[in-house]
Amino acid sequence: MLLLNLISCDSFVDVETPNSQLTGVTVFEDRTTANAALIAIYAKLRDSGMLAGNANGSGVCLGLYADELTYYGATDDNTSFIFNNTMLATTAIASQLWNESYQQIYSANAVIYGCENSTGLSTADKNQFIGEALFVRALVHSYLVNLYGDVPYITTTDYEVNRLVSRMPTAEVYTNIIADLQQAIALLPEAYVAPERVRPNRSTASAFLARVYLYNGNWAEASNAASAVLNNAEYVWETDIDKIFLKDCTATIWQFSPNLVGNNADEGSVFVFQTGPPPFVGLREELYNSFANDDLRKSHWIASVTDGTNTWYHANKYKQNTNTGTSVEYSIVFRLAEQYLIRAEARARQGELSNAKQDLDMVRSLAGLPNTTAMTSEDIIAAVQQERRFELFTEYGHRFFDLKRNGTLNTALPVVKLGWNSTDVHWPIPETELLANPNLTQNPGY
Amino acid sequence: MDCPSTALGMTKITNKKALYLVGKTSIEDWTNKTNVSFNSTKIMNKFSLYKDRCIIMVCCLCFQMTFASREKKQEARGDSSFVGMTKIQQNITGVVRDATGVLTGVTVSIKGKPITTITNENGQFTITAAEGDVLVFSFIGYKEVTVRVAVGSVINVTMQEDATTLKEVVVNAGYYNVKDKERTGSISKITSKDIDKQPVTNVLAAMQGRMAGVDIVQDSGSPGGAFSIKIRGTNSLRADGNQPLYIIDGVPYSSETIGSIATSGTAPSLTSPLNSINPSDIESIEVLKDADATAIYGSRGANGVVLITTKKGKAGKTTFTVNGSTSVGSVTRTPKLMNTQEYLAMRQQAFANDGISVYPDFAYDVNGTWDANRYTDWQKEFIGGTAEVNNLQASVSGGSAKTQYLLSGNYRTETTVFPGDFKYNKGAAHFNMNHTSDDDKFKLAFSANYTAQKNNQPATDLTAISRTLAPNAPALYDADGNLNWENSTWDNPLASLLSEFDSNIKDLTANTVLSYQILKNLQAKSSFGYSDLKSTESRTQPHTLYNPAFGLGSEFSGLSVSQTDRSTWIIEPQLNWTTTLGKGKVEALVGSTFQQQKTNRLFMNGFGFSSNSLIHDLASASIKTIDLSDETIYKYQAFFARINYNWNERYLLNITGRRDGSSRFGPGKQFATFGAVGAAWIFSNENFLKDNSVLSFGKLRTSYGTTGNDQIGDYQFLDTYASSSSTYQGLIGLQPIRLFNPEFGWETNRKFEVALETGFLKDRLFLTTAYYFNRSSNQLVGIPLPGTTGFGSLNANLDATVENSGLEFTLRTVNFQRKDFEWTTNFNLSISRNKLISYPGLESSTNANRFVVGQPINIIKVYNYIGMNPTTGVYEFEDVNGDGVITSIDDRTQIADLSPDFFGGLQNNFKYKNLQLDFLFQFVKQEAFGPTPGVPGTAVNQLASLSNAEGQQPLTSGVNGNLINGYFRYAQSTGNIENASYVRLKNLSLTYDLPLKKSKSVRCQLYLQGQNLLTFTNYSNGDPEFKFSNYLPPLKVYSAGVKLTL
Repeated sequence: MLLLNLISCDSFVDVETPNSQLTGVTVFEDRTTANAALIAIYAKLRDSGMLAGNANGSGVCLGLYADELTYYGATDDNTSFIFNNTMLATTAIASQLWNESYQQIYSANAVIYGCENSTGLSTADKNQFIGEALFVRALVHSYLVNLYGDVPYITTTDYEVNRLVSRMPTAEVYTNIIADLQQAIALLPEAYVAPERVRPNRSTASAFLARVYLYNGNWAEASNAASAVLNNAEYVWETDIDKIFLKDCTATIWQFSPNLVGNNADEGSVFVFQTGPPPFVGLREELYNSFANDDLRKSHWIASVTDGTNTWYHANKYKQNTNTGTSVEYSIVFRLAEQYLIRAEARARQGELSNAKQDLDMVRSLAGLPNTTAMTSEDIIAAVQQERRFELFTEYGHRFFDLKRNGTLNTALPVVKLGWNSTDVHWPIPETELLANPNLTQNPGY
Repeated sequence: MDCPSTALGMTKITNKKALYLVGKTSIEDWTNKTNVSFNSTKIMNKFSLYKDRCIIMVCCLCFQMTFASREKKQEARGDSSFVGMTKIQQNITGVVRDATGVLTGVTVSIKGKPITTITNENGQFTITAAEGDVLVFSFIGYKEVTVRVAVGSVINVTMQEDATTLKEVVVNAGYYNVKDKERTGSISKITSKDIDKQPVTNVLAAMQGRMAGVDIVQDSGSPGGAFSIKIRGTNSLRADGNQPLYIIDGVPYSSETIGSIATSGTAPSLTSPLNSINPSDIESIEVLKDADATAIYGSRGANGVVLITTKKGKAGKTTFTVNGSTSVGSVTRTPKLMNTQEYLAMRQQAFANDGISVYPDFAYDVNGTWDANRYTDWQKEFIGGTAEVNNLQASVSGGSAKTQYLLSGNYRTETTVFPGDFKYNKGAAHFNMNHTSDDDKFKLAFSANYTAQKNNQPATDLTAISRTLAPNAPALYDADGNLNWENSTWDNPLASLLSEFDSNIKDLTANTVLSYQILKNLQAKSSFGYSDLKSTESRTQPHTLYNPAFGLGSEFSGLSVSQTDRSTWIIEPQLNWTTTLGKGKVEALVGSTFQQQKTNRLFMNGFGFSSNSLIHDLASASIKTIDLSDETIYKYQAFFARINYNWNERYLLNITGRRDGSSRFGPGKQFATFGAVGAAWIFSNENFLKDNSVLSFGKLRTSYGTTGNDQIGDYQFLDTYASSSSTYQGLIGLQPIRLFNPEFGWETNRKFEVALETGFLKDRLFLTTAYYFNRSSNQLVGIPLPGTTGFGSLNANLDATVENSGLEFTLRTVNFQRKDFEWTTNFNLSISRNKLISYPGLESSTNANRFVVGQPINIIKVYNYIGMNPTTGVYEFEDVNGDGVITSIDDRTQIADLSPDFFGGLQNNFKYKNLQLDFLFQFVKQEAFGPTPGVPGTAVNQLASLSNAEGQQPLTSGVNGNLINGYFRYAQSTGNIENASYVRLKNLSLTYDLPLKKSKSVRCQLYLQGQNLLTFTNYSNGDPEFKFSNYLPPLKVYSAGVKLTL
């Protein structure tokens, strides 16, 4: 045995890094590869996690979980549970969205770490990449905190730290989100680094910051952040309701570039159907009926399908449900209408009633509706909430988050959702997560 | 089977020759009155049976020859009577045969003299002996025959196969061979005799139930479905780190799965390359289990080693074999589900319980949309078909004493039990050649195996849906024969069959062994192996898969293609040296290994076709993407040695060692040393036991040593980014692949074994009892991580010790051994225990809720079910920590172990004249979770027994969160664990040898075979043999065939 120990020829078993891989250090020594690392994050945001436009993204999941969509598919242990508000800690979607989100956060942290330690990247490039990564980190955390309640805020790639994290109080999570966004705003350039507004710029970070302030009741800051975007000449209010969701819309702040040439927003293929009953999900009838008849959004953003006896409805914001050779629609994450509504609410909350009405009417006019009749601040705020429901339906869970931040989930939903319990305001922390990390705790009711 | 006329003509000639030989020798025997007269009587008896004229003519011819030979003999006798008085040496010649023909390679020796020879390809021998000498005829697997030399020079012998003793059997231990009785390690073996009796296509299927300590479970009954194997328990915590090392004719064969998830078929796992091995080309399979046997494989031996030896050519006349069979297969067991009436009653009750009186518009099954009087047994519809298997194997072999060859070919087709026209075709060719130089110093052995498989399967296994679909769901086809979508009220399950999985695998393994006897006791040897696997898999996703309500066209159709090329070369030079030392014999070997494996993978997608008829053509896709294109290299190097000392066939000592280096580890961690010591004492050879009438064989053996495991994938120690499969801005992204740990190193597995092998009554009863005790530490595992780390696991050495111990019994008895009737029994039983011995820091680790020190590592923690709440009816569970809430962390603490308590097999073999009957019962004692198709009351079919089950939760249509929570906790509770033990008639084989008396060289066997014929179990969820629930269970197969040997 001793003899055997003496003989060895180490070089034979040395292998090169495989052709298809780069070491972590090399990636951030070069502008192109560092950019590719960010590219991969956006592709992930588009295809997985909360911002995905597919059946597992927040648009569908929270539309079903709240009162926007009805599930018509086969009974299963996942979508049925979301729809019936009978989620369990073991329900697949709970851990899927959790894991995908933290995977996106890991990638963002890896970019931040890589750029900070890079010697080959220029300062401008570093700022750009770190700014984008901070924006992504804040964005994903905000969805997590809204869905799961207190969540860990992850800022490192070190698994020794990340495997033992505790849940951070919601307020503290928001402090971190705001800090990240302010830093991102400082680092990001105003100009888009890529055509078609598919990469976040400074205004995108501001737009998101406006939403974060609004959710936290920081009205003045919300109003200012929204103004920063609305005053940017880059964005032009689109008055043709049929052009809002087209990829060239001038009112778009940030949208996802499609995976393949000719691909369109995933929302189209998820929501649109041609014959009834719906094969997957349909818009709830109450939602359709709550629109005013002359609301252009009712006729332009909703389509109906009938078999002669019954009629079903689907969201028709994105109309393309397949590859069109040349892409027509991209998934839009931030658009001007939301900023107007944020500012309208923020202004109303601060007593700037006429300015608030003005912002609200911008959105109403697009829908072909007359100016609002609301007079008091309460009425205007209520009108803005109503308008948000009509304007932002089936987009990234806005309806659910609005009900949640306004504390109206437990009054609005039990009426229409038989399985709703007051503890359903938070999704369960995935059981696998609790088992792997002793420092995490479960939400009440699970 | 039809015999072509040419073949018949040839047979005739052969017959004449044979008759001539038989006639001549038998009459000579009779004339010479040697003590092998039993032989001649037997043959003469058979002659008396011949009645037709042709035979009489031949008989006359024989008599003529007899007179001629008698004259000749008399001359010889004259000579010998003269020399006989002085006991002068004479040349003895003769022919050795068995019941079926002449035997080549039989050792003929003279008792007490160093004179030995072997029979040639015609079974003939010549040896110089004196009158009164005793000739000893010995041949592996046959009873020894001794003949006293009388006056005369011809001795013909018929040998009988010996079922009792395997003492002379040589087992393949990989780098060396060892006599079964002299081995110090634990090696199980099955041969082609057992393999040929089973209508199976996977080599692991052929081993199932036949080897102690080897636990094999079929993953799926779909054609080409893989098997899982565990040799002596779960060594590694990594699910994919428990594969044994496969060696085919000396070439390591990678069992790593091939293909990509995007192109996988109905199987629950990716394609297993083991399907490339054709069972009918296998001569023997040896499984090395303990340290003594596996340590020479070092880092790759921890999970055992499976040595596959393919068939070799045999010297002698050219033999043609044709073997054809047809089999039919169907599903073994299906759970009994509700009919429409029961189902609808359940649904209505569920809605009533929820206080819902108006059924929602999406509840098509109860709201009147679907016909309430319709009933379909979906299990019968989707998995109730009959799979048809046709198999044809042909071979030719022969050669001289110095050069032998074998060429065989096999073609097999298999259909499925799913509806639709799916096929699995497999063609195999095998070639072997052995050559020895005239001076016997140089030897060459070459073998090559080539298989081509084409597997066309549906991409979805319909088993799951067949168990959950409402029994009043609509018809599958409309009046025009098109798929019926019933106005999009359901996803027609047959639509999923439109997505086809197509796999083409071509696999070549070739090995050459050259050896040269440098000195009388020194041999140099080297093997050169090469294997090349090419796999192309594709899966279509035509738009017709989707509900037409989406209004999609072929521009939505897709195709995924994955290509995997894997080639390995290996060179293993070695030196063997033997000498005597005192009363003992020393065998030593040193060798080294250089191996490289290169895997290239290319995964592609095509999307958007102008027509679905172009869907198999990637070039026709309007959008093409590449998901993955990579090349991985695995390099491996080792030095190994063995020294064996055999003292007077009583005391044996075997020391093996290996120093291994693997590219799978980071710099500084690549090399490790493994070794083992084995010892045996054959106490039956001691004087005090020699010639004992009861105990015919006794051996006590023990071994201790270390082995390792490097099954962790390539490059895991590197921190790397790879291209992401999707694009953004038209660019390909780069994403981090893993959490990396440059520190991980070898894991070590310490194995101890002690075994007693005893043979009684001339080995008619042979019992092997083995106890093993293995401990693995520093385990290389994927440590599970919470999602907050961004990844699911991290490769690292786990500072924990896992113990596997167990008892294995193998009993072989010869119950009857008469001329016309033989009955033998083989029984094996394995009892294994697994235990986590230590795990420092378990409490603060991510495994804190997974493992318990002192318990097996594959435990599952469950809730303790205590019954139903008397008021709400909701299932209740023990609140272990008494905090008033049931949580998974604090209350899911009951430990369930679903690994088998024991398993084994009972095989019986009966031979009556030309008839042979074999059957194998396989048994497993285990527990498993019961069926959990979905919350009772929701639109999911349930077991029929649920309609009147006591203690059942109230039904809910899906909105009662408490009941749903109760149901899912129950699914993971003691309440849902049931007995899944089973006894199964795994294999039955009946073979009839047609009494073709005209010729001894033509043999025609008719056989009937069956697999999984009977299953006895109380398990409620269908077939109890499964690893992944809701996949097609193993099939029950009936097979009929004919084998013709010329």
